[in-house]
Amino acid sequence: MSGLAILGQNVFSGIAIGGVYALLALGIALIYRSTNVTNFAQGDITMLGAYALYILLEQLGLPYPIAFLLAIVVMGIFGWLFQRFVYYPLRNRSFLPVIIATIGAGILFQNVALVVFGSIPRKVNPVFASGGFTVGGVYFDLQYIVILVVTAALFVFQYLFFEHTSLGKKMQATAQDKTMAQLLGIPVALMIAFTFIYSTILGAIGGMLVAPIYFVTNRMGSTLGLKAFAACICGGFGDVRGALIGGIAIGLIEALGAAYIAPVYKDAFPFLLLLVFLLVRPQGIFGEKVSEKA
Amino acid sequence: MKMNLNNPTLREKFKPSALIAIAICLAVVVLFPIVVTSRYIVNLVILAAASGVAALGLTVCLGYTGLLSMAQAVFYSIGSYAVALCTTRMDIGWWGGMFLGLVLAALMGLFLGFASLKVSGRYLAMVTICVQVVFALVLMNWREVTNGADGISGIGRPWLFTELDDAQKFCWFSLAVLFICVLIIWALKTSKLGRSMRAVRENEMAAECLGVNTLRVKVIAFLICGVLGSLGGSLYASGFLYISPDSFVYQNSVDFLSMVLVGGTDSAFGAVIGASILTFLPEALCDLESLYLVIYGCIIIVVIIFMPDGLWGYVDRFMRRFSKKKMLPEVKQALAVGECDCDEVLHIENIGMHFGGLKALDGVDYAVHKGEIHALIGPNGSGKTTCINVISGIYTPTFGKVTFLGEEITGMKPHIIARKGLTRTFQNLRLFSKLSVYENVLVGSQRAGGSEEEIIDRALAAIEFVGLKDVAYEQCRSLPYGHQKLVELARNLAGKPKLLLLDEPAAGLNESEKEMLGDLLIRIHKMGLTMLLVEHDMSLISKLATKCTVLNFGEKIADGDVDEALTDPQVVEAYLGTKEVSEDDA
Amino acid sequence: MKKRVFACILAAAMLFCLAACGGGSTETTSPATDAPSTDTPASDSDVIKIGHIVHMTGSAVESGGYEKNGAELAVEEINAAGGVNGKQLVLVQEDGKSTNQGSVAAFQKLLEDDEIVAVIGPSPSTQFAAMIPTIDEAGIPVATGGTNYSLTHSDCPWVFRFRPHDGFSAQAMVRYAVDELGATKIAVLHGSDSFGVGGYDLVAQYLDELYGMEPILDQSFNNDEKDYTAVITNIKESGADCIISYMAMSPDVGMFATQRLQQGLDIPWIGSPSVTAVAGRELAGEALYGVYAVSDFHVDGNEKATAFAAAYEEKFGREPDFYSAWTYDAIYCFAEAFKNAADLEPESIREAILALEDFEGVEGTYNFDENGDGLDAYYIVVNNENNIEVVTKIEGNR
Repeated sequence: MSGLAILGQNVFSGIAIGGVYALLALGIALIYRSTNVTNFAQGDITMLGAYALYILLEQLGLPYPIAFLLAIVVMGIFGWLFQRFVYYPLRNRSFLPVIIATIGAGILFQNVALVVFGSIPRKVNPVFASGGFTVGGVYFDLQYIVILVVTAALFVFQYLFFEHTSLGKKMQATAQDKTMAQLLGIPVALMIAFTFIYSTILGAIGGMLVAPIYFVTNRMGSTLGLKAFAACICGGFGDVRGALIGGIAIGLIEALGAAYIAPVYKDAFPFLLLLVFLLVRPQGIFGEKVSEKA
Repeated sequence: MKMNLNNPTLREKFKPSALIAIAICLAVVVLFPIVVTSRYIVNLVILAAASGVAALGLTVCLGYTGLLSMAQAVFYSIGSYAVALCTTRMDIGWWGGMFLGLVLAALMGLFLGFASLKVSGRYLAMVTICVQVVFALVLMNWREVTNGADGISGIGRPWLFTELDDAQKFCWFSLAVLFICVLIIWALKTSKLGRSMRAVRENEMAAECLGVNTLRVKVIAFLICGVLGSLGGSLYASGFLYISPDSFVYQNSVDFLSMVLVGGTDSAFGAVIGASILTFLPEALCDLESLYLVIYGCIIIVVIIFMPDGLWGYVDRFMRRFSKKKMLPEVKQALAVGECDCDEVLHIENIGMHFGGLKALDGVDYAVHKGEIHALIGPNGSGKTTCINVISGIYTPTFGKVTFLGEEITGMKPHIIARKGLTRTFQNLRLFSKLSVYENVLVGSQRAGGSEEEIIDRALAAIEFVGLKDVAYEQCRSLPYGHQKLVELARNLAGKPKLLLLDEPAAGLNESEKEMLGDLLIRIHKMGLTMLLVEHDMSLISKLATKCTVLNFGEKIADGDVDEALTDPQVVEAYLGTKEVSEDDA
Repeated sequence: MKKRVFACILAAAMLFCLAACGGGSTETTSPATDAPSTDTPASDSDVIKIGHIVHMTGSAVESGGYEKNGAELAVEEINAAGGVNGKQLVLVQEDGKSTNQGSVAAFQKLLEDDEIVAVIGPSPSTQFAAMIPTIDEAGIPVATGGTNYSLTHSDCPWVFRFRPHDGFSAQAMVRYAVDELGATKIAVLHGSDSFGVGGYDLVAQYLDELYGMEPILDQSFNNDEKDYTAVITNIKESGADCIISYMAMSPDVGMFATQRLQQGLDIPWIGSPSVTAVAGRELAGEALYGVYAVSDFHVDGNEKATAFAAAYEEKFGREPDFYSAWTYDAIYCFAEAFKNAADLEPESIREAILALEDFEGVEGTYNFDENGDGLDAYYIVVNNENNIEVVTKIEGNR
């Protein structure tokens, strides 16, 4: 295997996994922008999305598109419940209790999944059964390509939705200035609920996309969530472009670090880099104020 | 500290709920290892004590100072590994290992402390997560030192007058350590440092402007957090006799966090309660098999949503209902202000403050003389608040020079300026809202230094002066707005100020409150305190001010006696001619 | 007000939980004596209690279930056949929670019961290692199914292993790879956990001792790894002609197996027993066909194993695996030792176990050495279209 092929292989898988981090990071960023809440449960929402797909696809035997859409609907409802019972009671408190509550929610989701599904990893079939193809010594897994395509599509959708629809504009207005939005007659609480639903769906889609690669277990989301959080910070909190670039950067760094330095420190590379980043250029790639407003 | 029961902070410390808790703790420490001989229970108690000590670190860091750390398991592992390696491989012994652990943890604490100067809030949380993740991987894979995933067994136990080689004795030792730590952390809360910490938690900028060195306080908080985490880890290693890296991962840090949250972050007892409950709960619920983890998650969410102060906060409130209403100690002395031995109290020379292209201040100069109430007025956006911020050290001016009592203070940190006797209020109140009125004023009083008694005397005098004696033990956030303004004034007066900067003190007050405020400021003035007053309310200005400087668009347009300045044609034009609608620059 | 009431109830519930702590171990197949009589010596009672630390929660719940079933089946059979010296066996189970702390706590809880004369520990080596200081202090025979070499070599006379340790699996893999597969460049793939790292050391040791060779690549990864691209490219680049793997987790096996083939890494692979585990096979499917593994238990290994498999399937409705096999053997060995021992004091039981000669179990023939290792042979098996077939049996040099 040539050195170039090795590089190509690792870059490809890094970018693809980075796409998943980006989807999760986007969810975290959206919630952060509209509610100032950092959702530590995003990783576990991903896990629930994967389980939802597993049930619909593998246990009920529904065809892929239907299972996928149904899972999105289910997770959307779940997103509403999440904001109603975790965010809403705490909406007027400082960021700390809310962070902790989302961490608690994450623990809860993991353990509920453990009780319901047990600890055996579950297998979900990929979208295309044929697997993949090899070009120039680099294996292109179709599922990875699906991940990249869906991620790109969602980012485009996101742009069109927020810039060109009335609902999207209202959501954006709410994110920017809640008080002002309220004065303009935008139903702020509803918009926040929408944001949570949308973010939950983003996380869940991430979970459904990685399910065939990762296998579905109750702990699959914890490192995913942390890395998405790291991606968010890398890109500058609350910035949509930042989430995309941060996610892919994290994916690439860990893939290349694992390949060329040591696989056992794979998880350390992105966090180490982030640490340096935070201490040297805390505002992220796309600059956001880091210190909390005094 | 003198053990004088008339000393109000001591009396505050000895409130019934705290006394009862201490008594219970002491009884447990002494009796427990005698009464309970079950190895199983004894070991769980050692575990709970070790976790409790580590959780106390978070009480200081998160509870008192408001810094979210998700790396407590890192400190815990440092203490554990130090003891493990020193007793198994290096023959330095338990105490040597423990001290080594403390030193290393203190270094790590310093690192995180300095990180907290760079970033805060969720970003700080991410820094700690990064440290946690990387550290756990290093423990796992640095086999030469940590023995990798195999872990280290055969860990020794300390010598304390006798070999503490059986679990019973070590349990007693752990409980004793926990007891001492609880007492220290409990006493810390109402000490000078503890008050500063909580002031930083409530409002960092206000704390800084009241002379609290917020950077130092944050670093110390992380230092204490690390040291306690490490100490807890040392107990854990010797209690358990075997350690491996999988006990020190991110999840464990979250567990520590859960402990202080469930127990209550704001009290040492909360940490102990939380640690005990979360150690014993899984054992008590083990018949439920997997469900216990679900219940565990539920409890955390429910406690956070319904009991923001944790279980101890609840118990504390419950017990307080049965204790007598506290009375403020007698005021021993009248309020005093600082002596100025220089006629020109404040001199501003050619100050400029540019924010990118925006020239908020552009070459302003004026002087405030001893005994004046100097008004600084101007339309919205004219740079008044920026000026106050530059003087108090929040902004470093782009150019120019600020002299206070003949000493240049340009570019100094706010807390240093504050300690020189220059104090300020804020346009939008910046109280330590979860602290009592009394504690708020104590923080302000600390600035002038002196013994605890002197600090208390000054605080009492200030509270008496503004007439808040009856509500001194109320939390600030429960007071009406007018009273909150008075708290802020008292907080400034208690620290023997030499110059008081008032940033729109009348904003948001109704007419009668304004009237009262005016009278109060006159009384303060009569004591000889020089003031620089930024205000929009012209009636208040004409009532109080003796000198006046008018700013417009960052430049001085008039200076001198009030009447003179107000009739200056340029001033009239600034106020009436061009209608400014831009926002104030605060 | 509502909040306050709720909080009150919650606080009360928590206190209640605390108060309830201490009870709650599960005793199975206990025909008599419900009231524990702690002051009577164990030998006077008409039951013999064996403690069993089972992971009923957490990540090892799956293997825990197999262990539990195996032990219960053995106790049931022995009791049905009249018990031991006329006394019924009673199994006292405690949850080890899949954690170090949980396992030690469970063991200590079992020690509270003076009637328990021997204990069966959990399989994961790390958790057993965590228990060793306590075992040493308690002085009671404890069975283990952890294969980490050091468990029986840490100067604790009370540990008895009912599976062949990793030294034997390393020998078996190395021999098969070199002698039968003709491998000259062996890459060792292993997790960074205790099992994987220990496995690597032993493979390297035996490669050197037996053939004077060195592994061409020491490739470690962290458990729960999702993307093996880096690992696979490293192996490819090393030019290895055979992979020996020590992987503890089935999802890892499944993922590596699948990604390896996709990325065109098609060299012989001999894995640790997890490669044959049902969970891994279900996840990887065809990707594991043709892969070799070492295995200490096989349904067709001996007559007893076949009979055990039939009884197990009848009772629990699925095939047994090595987790159930070793606990089953441990109970039978303990029972035999109880029969032969002078009394039920720990020292006598220990001597009786050490004195067992050619004791036939479902895993193999037990002869305990002074370290407490009872077995020394591994099967080499191959995954033939999802059927695990025995290729050969390799006895290790002790």
